[in-house]
Amino acid sequence: MTLILTQLTQLQPLFKLLSSGTHLNRFQDTELWVELENQQSHYQDLFAALGFVLVVDGRGFAYFKTDQGSSYTGKLTRRLALLLMLLFEYQADQGLHLFQFQQWRLDTALLEKLWQQYHAILEAEEMNSPQMLTEILDSAARVGFLVFEDQAYRLLTAVHRYLDLFEELAQAERPDQLQVENAEEALF
Amino acid sequence: MSLIQYGFQKLVLLNSAGYSRAELPLDDSVSIIAPNNTGKTSLINALQFLLILNKQHMEFGAHSFENTRRFYFPDNSAYILLEVLLPSGMAVIGCVGKGLSHDYEYFAYQGSLDLDDYRLDDGKLVTQPQLIGRLFECGKPAKIYPQAELRALLYGNRQKQRSDDPDFTIFPLEFTSQAATYQRILTRTLRLDRLDSKEVKNYLLEIFKNDLQDRRVDFKSEWDKSFADVNYDKSQYDAVFRNQTLIADMEDNQQTRRTLRGKITLWRPVIEQGLYEWEAYYNNTFEQLTQQLKGLVVDIQALENRQKAVYKDQAETDNLLKGQQKIEQHCQELTLRFEFVSDLLQLQNQRQSLQEQRDERVRVIKNAEQQQSPESIKRNLVKVGKEHADLQRQLASLNNNLYLQLQKLLPTDSFELLTRLLAKSVLSLPATENSAVKLDNAVAFQSFAAQLENNLSANRLELPGLSLDLSALEANLTLKTAQELETEISDCKRQLVELQNLLQTVETLAEKKRQQQELERQIEVLDADITDYKELLLMQANGAERLQILAEVLQKLEALKREELTLTDQKSSISQQQDDNKITQKELQSQHQRINNARHQRLDQHPPFTYLEQLPFLPCMEMAKLAMPVLADRIESYNRDCQKLNTLDDNLNRQLMDLHRDGLNKFQTQDSTEQELDALFAYTVNLSQEQAAIERKARSAVVQIAAILRDLRDSLETLKRRMREFNNKINRRQLSDLKVFKIEPREEEALVKAIQTLISTSEQVESGNSFDLFDHNAVLDDKELNHAKDTLIKEGEARGGLRVEHLFRLVFIIAKENQTPAEFEDIDSAASNGTVLMAKLITGLAMLNQMQDPRKTIKTACYLDEAASLDQHNQRNLIEIAAEFGFTLIFASPEPQITARYCVPIGTTNGKNHISRLNWQILEPINNADLKPLP
Repeated sequence: MTLILTQLTQLQPLFKLLSSGTHLNRFQDTELWVELENQQSHYQDLFAALGFVLVVDGRGFAYFKTDQGSSYTGKLTRRLALLLMLLFEYQADQGLHLFQFQQWRLDTALLEKLWQQYHAILEAEEMNSPQMLTEILDSAARVGFLVFEDQAYRLLTAVHRYLDLFEELAQAERPDQLQVENAEEALF
Repeated sequence: MSLIQYGFQKLVLLNSAGYSRAELPLDDSVSIIAPNNTGKTSLINALQFLLILNKQHMEFGAHSFENTRRFYFPDNSAYILLEVLLPSGMAVIGCVGKGLSHDYEYFAYQGSLDLDDYRLDDGKLVTQPQLIGRLFECGKPAKIYPQAELRALLYGNRQKQRSDDPDFTIFPLEFTSQAATYQRILTRTLRLDRLDSKEVKNYLLEIFKNDLQDRRVDFKSEWDKSFADVNYDKSQYDAVFRNQTLIADMEDNQQTRRTLRGKITLWRPVIEQGLYEWEAYYNNTFEQLTQQLKGLVVDIQALENRQKAVYKDQAETDNLLKGQQKIEQHCQELTLRFEFVSDLLQLQNQRQSLQEQRDERVRVIKNAEQQQSPESIKRNLVKVGKEHADLQRQLASLNNNLYLQLQKLLPTDSFELLTRLLAKSVLSLPATENSAVKLDNAVAFQSFAAQLENNLSANRLELPGLSLDLSALEANLTLKTAQELETEISDCKRQLVELQNLLQTVETLAEKKRQQQELERQIEVLDADITDYKELLLMQANGAERLQILAEVLQKLEALKREELTLTDQKSSISQQQDDNKITQKELQSQHQRINNARHQRLDQHPPFTYLEQLPFLPCMEMAKLAMPVLADRIESYNRDCQKLNTLDDNLNRQLMDLHRDGLNKFQTQDSTEQELDALFAYTVNLSQEQAAIERKARSAVVQIAAILRDLRDSLETLKRRMREFNNKINRRQLSDLKVFKIEPREEEALVKAIQTLISTSEQVESGNSFDLFDHNAVLDDKELNHAKDTLIKEGEARGGLRVEHLFRLVFIIAKENQTPAEFEDIDSAASNGTVLMAKLITGLAMLNQMQDPRKTIKTACYLDEAASLDQHNQRNLIEIAAEFGFTLIFASPEPQITARYCVPIGTTNGKNHISRLNWQILEPINNADLKPLP
């Protein structure tokens, strides 16, 4: 297959975004997403040749799949996973549909409630204050899992990656902590 | 197969695609048997020339169309022929090469396909130029068709056919417009392994296109179009709102300007008249003033002269007064001096007595002057006194004195000598106790006298070292008797009295002389007094007259003073008048100067003053009456007004330009600036109503937008419905081991929600509740609404317009037995190769079937490579499903597939492939063994 680089008009911004470990989200980076949709195979081939595995998920996100993660990302991932799982559990208890997570508003009040309800679990993962939760969400926002706008966080489509994992775990017999961690490692 | 089955009968290739000859049955399922790379695909692809026709829709894998053409049409006796049974009877559609150009042309005729028709007697194939003639000879009147025309025929596009053409419709589509889609899918079905989910989505969209109001919505431009007015109005509103202060100021300015215009219009003729009359007024007044001034100069001269006279008079009178006063004072002094003098006689008597005293003195003095002088008298007195005292002492010591003692004790010679030596007073000293001379020892003194005798010899006294001759000396004391002494003393006494009287007389003479002089002086004084007194008497006599004169003088002086004062007043008054006159003159001149200047500075000769009456103004209610003296003020103030008006014009223009620059151009369309300003002010006054109006407009714009979005949403709903039907169609029979196989649309939540937000907002607006539900800025400031709008605009811009296809994505839902369904985006990854192949094929066939007119079924063919990957059960299943959709299946594999009715091996002779109908193997179920003879 011949790649015509001039046709890949968004190559530079796409690579910059993805190679930094950030998730491309359909509604955050619409232009890039449409470009990716139109030239998906070309981008995938090109990036593959460069040693990156581009995963494009039709639910509206794309990322570079990578096997190794730094200890920091590992820690962040673990904490974020826990936080998101608790969030999903909490929202499910509120009777909300999990797949509509993009419509949730994660404002201070909600984070406060999460903290009140789960602080024992969170503290076990060294998340010692509601402030810490915000810091984690901020970090996650930098890699395209969330966006902070209008005084609240909003989950982006890339969170499907976590949700998929949670579902997988839920289907398995023993959804214990060990498995969560294994699954996280599989993510990165 | 008792029923007549319309559809493909067979495909024949002559001298094409590496086949010398190939005959492939297509009336039922076929298994083409050949090793890989022996032309199976070429054979099937040949169908594209006949069925797709449009070379743009044909696909030959990696080969270019040029090469493909050369491959299929090496010369002008290369044929691709298809026999089809149509409701109108058997028909042949063919494609023949045109020679070296490797071009080709189409022909068709009614009748069955007989290969002998294409072969000449010498066994050679009929060439293209001879073909139509040859077929005609064979009783088959064929016709050459241009590609487009034939395509119209095959896809039943009646509009593009001529009425005398036979009906060759192979693909009776429900909508002939879908021919292109149909062709594309058909091309795909010839190579189904490449079908992917994206294509499925595109095809399905094209298939359902007629059900959907599938327009491309340029959301941004729609929004901008609908909101153009609103946004414009809003921007104008905002600009006005921002600039309210400025506009208020402008309104003031405009009001002032109109007032000024009215004032200027009113005054202009008055000023003109005033200027016309000014010169005459000025000259007259100036002349008057000059005359007046001259008169005043004369007046003041006269006054000054008079004043000089008065001063002189005053000085004289003053002197007079002083003289009188002096006299008066003298009189008073005299009066005081002679207060105790009763009359003149008294004084004269006094003088007389004084004169007599003086004369007495003069006589005494004359007597005294004949005596000796008092000094010599005084000397005589002292001499006599001394003598008297001496005598007295001699008398007292007459009995016991030194002399006597000496006389007693001493010899006479010595005594004599001693009396000569000792002074008379010493000798006369008494020799008693307590006196100067004491004689304690008379013996001692006598021895001493003896010694002294020795030293005395004949009148000589010899003392050691001294000798004194005593002969010349007389004895100092001769003792007198008491008698003698007493006589002498009384002589002395009498002499002393005489001398003292004489002295007194002499001395009194000086006193007398002094007294005489005193008297002389007193007489003189008295003489002067007498003179003065006489004067006093005279003055006392004319006292009344004197007083009279004094009063008169004073009166005169007073009168002069008063006159002098009035003169000064008059003078200063006239001088004031002069000054006033000069000031008035100066004032008049300055007015003249000012008027001349102002006349030159007049602005009202230029526009806009030349047409000021035509501009809007407020009538001025002042009394426009002009007094000449205030003309200068008036005209200057008039000029100032003109200047002010110009400044106001400039200001207003500048302010208006500022507003224009700030984007406020709503009123620029007005005919004039004045009207623009009026419109602007009117707008500003009704700002709150304007805001409400904009809000209403915004709402109706949302309603308008929502109508477009509703189409999109409805299309999405229709599509979902259609997809359900489509899923029913493909699920009629179970595929392989798939319990569930569905293609489902998944909404793009964010977009659909955004659309829904806009629609529901518009519904609220339309229902009319919105005024209660929202506050004023609801629509324009609605956060959610704006977010929705932004989402749609972003999406629309990235994709160059919004379409229903952007609102969903397709997922394949697949579940095997005992599994929960899972979603897959890519069908390839969903299951095993064979299953995927089947799924794709069924999907493709279902799509084609979807497009066909359900009333007319004409069986066509589709191709499945690598058929061996399907087990027989599935193959049978597939054949049945394909049949249901109106297709016969062509399997291709190295091994024969016994599920097919025909097994057709490809043979090779001299490097050329060939398929002869003699090689066809027809499989029949055993229980239906009576084989039909081959046609």
